[in-house]
Amino acid sequence: MDQREKKKESGDGRCETNWDNYLKSYYEKPQSVRTWSGYEVKEAYTPEDRSHEDYESDIGDPGNFPFTRGIHRDMFRGRYWTRREVVGIGSPEDTHKRAAFCFEQGGSGLNTIADVTYEMGLDPDHPRAQEEVGLTGVNISSIQDMETLVGDIPLDRVSWSLITASTAAAATMAQYAAVALEKGYDIRDLRGSIQNDPIHFRYCGFRPACPLDLSIKLGSDVMEFCTRNMPKWYYTTVNMYDLREQGITAPQEIAFGFGIAMCYIDELLRRGLHIDAFAPRFTFYVSCHIDLFEEIAKIRAARRMWARFIKEKYGAKDSRSMQFRFAVHTAGCSLVPQQPLNNLVRISFEALAAVLGGVQSLHCCSYDEPMCLPTEKGHLQALRTQQIIAYETGVTNVADPLGGSYYIESLTDKMEEEASKVMNQVQGLGGMEEAIRTEWLDRQFDKEGIKRQREIDKGDKLLVGVNIFTSEPETETPLGVQRISEQSAHQQIQDVIKLKKSRNKRKLSEAIKRLREDAAENRNTIPAMIEATRAFATTAELLGTVRQVYGYSYDPLDVIASPFD
Amino acid sequence: MRTVQGKTSMTGNKIRVIVSKVGLDGHDRGAKVVAALLRDAGMEVVYLGMYQTPEGIVRCAIDEDADVIGVSYLSGEHLVYTPKLVAEMKKGHLEDVLLLVGGSFPPEDIPVMKEMGVDEVFRGGSLTDSFVQYIRKNVRRQS
Repeated sequence: MDQREKKKESGDGRCETNWDNYLKSYYEKPQSVRTWSGYEVKEAYTPEDRSHEDYESDIGDPGNFPFTRGIHRDMFRGRYWTRREVVGIGSPEDTHKRAAFCFEQGGSGLNTIADVTYEMGLDPDHPRAQEEVGLTGVNISSIQDMETLVGDIPLDRVSWSLITASTAAAATMAQYAAVALEKGYDIRDLRGSIQNDPIHFRYCGFRPACPLDLSIKLGSDVMEFCTRNMPKWYYTTVNMYDLREQGITAPQEIAFGFGIAMCYIDELLRRGLHIDAFAPRFTFYVSCHIDLFEEIAKIRAARRMWARFIKEKYGAKDSRSMQFRFAVHTAGCSLVPQQPLNNLVRISFEALAAVLGGVQSLHCCSYDEPMCLPTEKGHLQALRTQQIIAYETGVTNVADPLGGSYYIESLTDKMEEEASKVMNQVQGLGGMEEAIRTEWLDRQFDKEGIKRQREIDKGDKLLVGVNIFTSEPETETPLGVQRISEQSAHQQIQDVIKLKKSRNKRKLSEAIKRLREDAAENRNTIPAMIEATRAFATTAELLGTVRQVYGYSYDPLDVIASPFD
Repeated sequence: MRTVQGKTSMTGNKIRVIVSKVGLDGHDRGAKVVAALLRDAGMEVVYLGMYQTPEGIVRCAIDEDADVIGVSYLSGEHLVYTPKLVAEMKKGHLEDVLLLVGGSFPPEDIPVMKEMGVDEVFRGGSLTDSFVQYIRKNVRRQS
């Protein structure tokens, strides 16, 4: 921006200071009085803004319905949030090592993310997968890979968050349970979560792996299986975060996330489960963007809305069903490669919003996210950010410290009002499944994404280093670059080829036959997937077999044929 | 004023851009937004979407008589697919087609991609004007 250029070149090439501009910046004031999502806010909020409020029913104490102020009475005095950094760098060995590193540095939960080929449901030897094995996550093609990833980690004691979002989550759950069984654990003792939200993943590039009916089928199979067999497991993390990354507003994040959650809830009810049997294990993945107060208000509104929604719409009686449990991922899309160390500051504010909002589990982005996968130093810095908030700032002392603020309470109401409008709109379209089928939801993402870029182009939204206080482009990444080892990707490919040659064919084909029958009879597919995994069936084989039963190509990309036909 | 030889399109001398993802990476928001903004800037855009191969992109560029190919990378696949794309463009004699890259990658890889044959690179945080102006100034057309 021209008026912000404080120096100009003089004729002889030396810089001359432009003092007029310095004076201008002294008197400068914010040019926008809107929240990130675009809502105009007042100069100040007063008791007048809260005159109709009924504290007990609209807000309530922390730990009490409608949980606006948090799901626990004592919040972080009882236990800090789980400090969990997402790890996934190629091979199971490398990922295990980095996860162990995060633990050694004070991380309190494991969090591993699957690679792009796995999410698509491809084995590493697939012709279109070979170039991308291990990019953006860990590659798991068999029980052997899962065993390597687990290594010596005591599965009955740690809390492990498995990030597989697509229909491949069914394979992940089976592979994890199979390894636990092989190691002699009782799967009832396993603690952790699996993302398992295939519906949302169609908006993240994995549409071929996530047809709507199969997403509901396999997603709900995982949920039903865990409800019946793994009582300590959180079996879905409805991913509002990824939706927000498309450029939508804070209220849309709530509304679309709840809409997707309802698709699974309705299916579980159709299967004869009672809402209170499964709702306490429902969790959400929420974004924290850069507008501190709006994000806190969004979280508080989501908690209140979920509590009422589960109670009133679904008739839940157990208060645990009504508690909106969530993890936060700080907003990757708020980070830019220009002046990259600024990202550390952005991440701190976003993490602070999560904590002030009463988060259960937090992943801070690493500052290098707009350049590469996290380096070890990047990961460490993200973890240290969480630790500084937890151990130094004192914000953990009091539950919902902003509760009762005229502004925060008013903004919470605003978030609820706007999110309800969007939910009613979706209802008017015939519900979320219909909004997805007719691609109405696609169009919302497209529209909002373009709007966000235009706001930055026009300077309606300011981003330091992008459209204000810019500088020469960087030539290097300050703390180095994370690369995926080509050698380990090659090894993954060789390993799966070898495995496919060496396993017992008869045992395998019997297990695949049972999986096919269970899918065809509309039984839960997870037990058969566990059995097939123990017979060394691969990820693509598990998923491809079920795909075929549902009338889809064995291979999501329709390049290779089923080896079992 | 540029004139364009051999173009048969009804849209006359509009600049034609192919926007695509390559491989399995699903981060398509940037590519979609760029495609829409180029269209708003008066260019004719063919948006190929996800799961494209270098061969397919080049075939499309030939069929559509494109002036520009723009690809978007966000999962570290840029060093794998860029050389393949450049090789396919050579095979297809697309020397006069601009190759632009956008997305997330380390700044260290920008000179590497330029060395491979990429004309210009736009990282996340690029303003629309920067790539629209770049295309207008640098589009290589026979006159």
